[in-house]
Amino acid sequence: MILGRDGIAGLILAGISLVLFVHSLGLPHLPIVPVGPGFYPRIVLGFLGLASLALVAQDAMAQRARAERAAGEPRNHRLVLALFAAFGAYVALMPLAGFRLATFAFVAAVQALLDPPRRAAQWAVLAAVALGTVTATYLVFETYLLVLLPRGTWTGW
Amino acid sequence: MFELLGDGLVTMLQWKYLVPLCLGTLIGIVGGSLPGVTITMTIIVVVPFTFGLDPLQGLAAMTGVYVGGSAGGLVTASLLGIPGTPSAIATTFDGFPMARRGEPGRALWLGVWASFFGGLIGGAFLIFVTGPLAAIALEFGPWEFFSLFVLAMAMVAGLTEGSMVKGLISTGIGLLITVIGTDPITSVPRFTFGSEFVRAGFPFLPVLIGVFAFAQIMTDVEKLGRPGTRAAAAARASASLRVSQLKVLGEILSRPFLLVWSTVVGIAIGVLPAIGGSAANMLAYDQAKKFSRHPEAFGTGTPEGIIASESSNNANVGGSLVTIMAFGIPGDAVTAVMLGAMTIHGIQSGPLFVSQNPELAYGIYAAYILAHPIMVLILGVGTLFLLRVTRVRLAVLAPVVLVLCAIGAYALNNTMQTVYVLLTFGIIGYVLVKLGFPLAPLILGLILGDQIELNLVRAIMTDADPLLFLTRPISAGLLAAAVLSVALAMWQHLRHQRRVATADGETDF
Amino acid sequence: MKKISGVIASAAILAVGFAGSAFAEFPERPVKLIVPWAAGGDTDNIFRPFAAEFQKHLGQPVAIANVTGASGTVGAREAKNAPADGYSLYAVHDYIHLTYYAGLGDVKYSDFEPICLVAATPSVLTASAKTPFKTWAEFLADAKKRPGQISVGATLGSTSHIFPALIEKGAGIKLKYVSYDGLAPRMNALLGGHIDLTDSNLTQKGKVEAGLLRFLAIASPERDKEMPDVPTLKELGVNLVYEVVRGLLVPKGTPAPARAKLEEACAKATKEASFAEAMKKQGTRVAFLNAKDYGAFLDKIDGENKTIMTELGLMKK
Repeated sequence: MILGRDGIAGLILAGISLVLFVHSLGLPHLPIVPVGPGFYPRIVLGFLGLASLALVAQDAMAQRARAERAAGEPRNHRLVLALFAAFGAYVALMPLAGFRLATFAFVAAVQALLDPPRRAAQWAVLAAVALGTVTATYLVFETYLLVLLPRGTWTGW
Repeated sequence: MFELLGDGLVTMLQWKYLVPLCLGTLIGIVGGSLPGVTITMTIIVVVPFTFGLDPLQGLAAMTGVYVGGSAGGLVTASLLGIPGTPSAIATTFDGFPMARRGEPGRALWLGVWASFFGGLIGGAFLIFVTGPLAAIALEFGPWEFFSLFVLAMAMVAGLTEGSMVKGLISTGIGLLITVIGTDPITSVPRFTFGSEFVRAGFPFLPVLIGVFAFAQIMTDVEKLGRPGTRAAAAARASASLRVSQLKVLGEILSRPFLLVWSTVVGIAIGVLPAIGGSAANMLAYDQAKKFSRHPEAFGTGTPEGIIASESSNNANVGGSLVTIMAFGIPGDAVTAVMLGAMTIHGIQSGPLFVSQNPELAYGIYAAYILAHPIMVLILGVGTLFLLRVTRVRLAVLAPVVLVLCAIGAYALNNTMQTVYVLLTFGIIGYVLVKLGFPLAPLILGLILGDQIELNLVRAIMTDADPLLFLTRPISAGLLAAAVLSVALAMWQHLRHQRRVATADGETDF
Repeated sequence: MKKISGVIASAAILAVGFAGSAFAEFPERPVKLIVPWAAGGDTDNIFRPFAAEFQKHLGQPVAIANVTGASGTVGAREAKNAPADGYSLYAVHDYIHLTYYAGLGDVKYSDFEPICLVAATPSVLTASAKTPFKTWAEFLADAKKRPGQISVGATLGSTSHIFPALIEKGAGIKLKYVSYDGLAPRMNALLGGHIDLTDSNLTQKGKVEAGLLRFLAIASPERDKEMPDVPTLKELGVNLVYEVVRGLLVPKGTPAPARAKLEEACAKATKEASFAEAMKKQGTRVAFLNAKDYGAFLDKIDGENKTIMTELGLMKK
């Protein structure tokens, strides 16, 4: 029996449910509440575990003939990964370099990543968009909405 | 009553009140359309400005924010596929596909006019049946709430086009997310495995934005550089932004049953404390799909989906105001802030509020009613610019939207923690979409998870008898409806599968 | 390169900061006030009018940040980890002692420096109109007849739990607790009769006047002028005064000149007539204490809370 993507996902979810279910049995119980903190999670995990197994079963019984449609269109997964990485770097940089510098770098980098500029004029547009985003968001949120955006521990700005 | 309402309208039409009302509505629309900026946050910003005004001016401004915010969410939902506020989640299901198809103006205006009519019908309920509605809401104890939430989840798990099992799993994942972190009753850390990050839990809003924003943007990014993408983008850029208002109005008014029923769902959810607009729009959407003669059209950009979602969420605002008017108890965070502002002005909120301050109460009713045409006018001017968003290049749009999401997540708690949550769930959401799991049931599980647990445990703490869930009439009726709803969804599903044997689960969210 | 120059720049800023004289200028930018509860709650409703007065005397805007979650311990941790530069303030009430001893949080009041005590809100024992008892005496008789049957809505391990627990001890009765976090959900449940009793405060006056709720007893030293019909627990023979006190703290290590400036602004703000007026509407009295007295007061109530938690068996094992 060969499992498809659904079957594997179902097995993983069922596994997670089982591990957490066992873990929930060890949670401390306060005398003031008749049911412990693990009571409701066990209901949820039981439900999720059973549904996951049902998915595995459904997948195993499904016709293998079903066309694997992944081959249909080429997808730019490398770009997706790069964008996730860029956002990760942005989030990591924000408390260090401060909101303003990190945002400028992020907006500029993502534009360069998704639509690489070729001419100087395009670089200028890119920089202007990055600068405009920083200025507008900072003005609106920090000065007007009084959300104190993160300041960088490296820069103090 | 009509006389008082008339007086209220006349008062509200004076510049003194009209200006704060218009400004409030405008600010609400802006706040509502920014993903991550909630109506609660927007209204908090407005509160300090109302200190210097007279109480009715302040309430007019806040009512404007509430109404405007509920409508503002639809702009981002239709044009970018990211709900500007949680109350516009279901609007993304059909609004965004319609906009993508080259009809952004139609999608937007269907939403605007549905909000308008939903709000006005909601207003009529607010004014004429406040008392009885609120009395029914009070009958809801922990048993009824628990059963209601079970019904809500049963309804939405059946919404999916793909496999129903996947819908159920999505619900389960949503519920599981709320279980992780500190237990809401005794604050015992659950499933944290010693991590401080996990211990703080995963607040609803950053998870919602993370899941939707990344799923949406990444699906577009995947297609970048693919042959045909440029042509599609060019076609979209030249798509007509013009829209025939008459045609849109006709589309809405020719479906009176849909409009009224969605509104009723919105009000009912609004009157019940602790749920709020985020669930109302999804439940109304489910109802619309169940009653529709073309359930298979839902999710592809059908006007019915937009109408259901948007009319319910504005009616929901009317519903939330009911509990404030009747008992002086806030039903959600937004009304809690409004109530707080009222006490600062020295108004004694409570069950005697309407009879002791008729001019204020009817002033609020009037503000609520007038905020709707004002909202339409503001959006009418605004759409001239807003629709251009659909023409912005992805390379510019993606980073700017992600920055706004990051700020929204940060501002929720003023900590980086919520921004990390945003990223984490951006990744998880994208993976789930790729695997063909629908996002709507996950989001509903996330909204209701804490409340289900709280009410279940409360019921047990109040009375150890589990049969009460079945012997209390309202609770039993709700549970029966839940069973019925699943059965109906399965039947509709089977019938549909028999008719069309092809299934394509791609980006089914 | 950028990183290094950044480090140097921030070091320079810090050095100037610690030189002290620079703090003559404090505060030179907006100050953040961390409120560990949701907007629209009792604590929020007290600190928002306070912030309005406070910023006038401080000379810089005060931005309220509601950092909520896990019985207020998320906000406590956030405040503790905030930079100790005077720009992060923390609005606190008695829960800080309780959550620490209940093991809900690892933040202790001594992780902070006191600035001032702002206000005190007496607790009021409140009953649903659907209960058979109309007065304290009837309640007491009923509670003795049905031990462990009368339900109380409470945030477990917080003030709304401790207050009825102290009444249990003082009056020799036994109650049943149901978890309802926050006053608004408790009010809904009380109005619907899904719980019998709860701890509330005088802000709920309107519902009492409408006959939907009953105030059984107030835990203040003497009767309130606004509600003179509500007897105090003391006159009813239960020697109990219970007020939720709210004050300002800053992270430990905040420079003394900044603290002095904050304390001075707080003293002035609490003296404003408009603030007293705003507090009256919150069923609260203005209760200013300066940093020194507030510190001593915190030490005292921390000891008391430890005793209470031990006696009630809620101490973390």
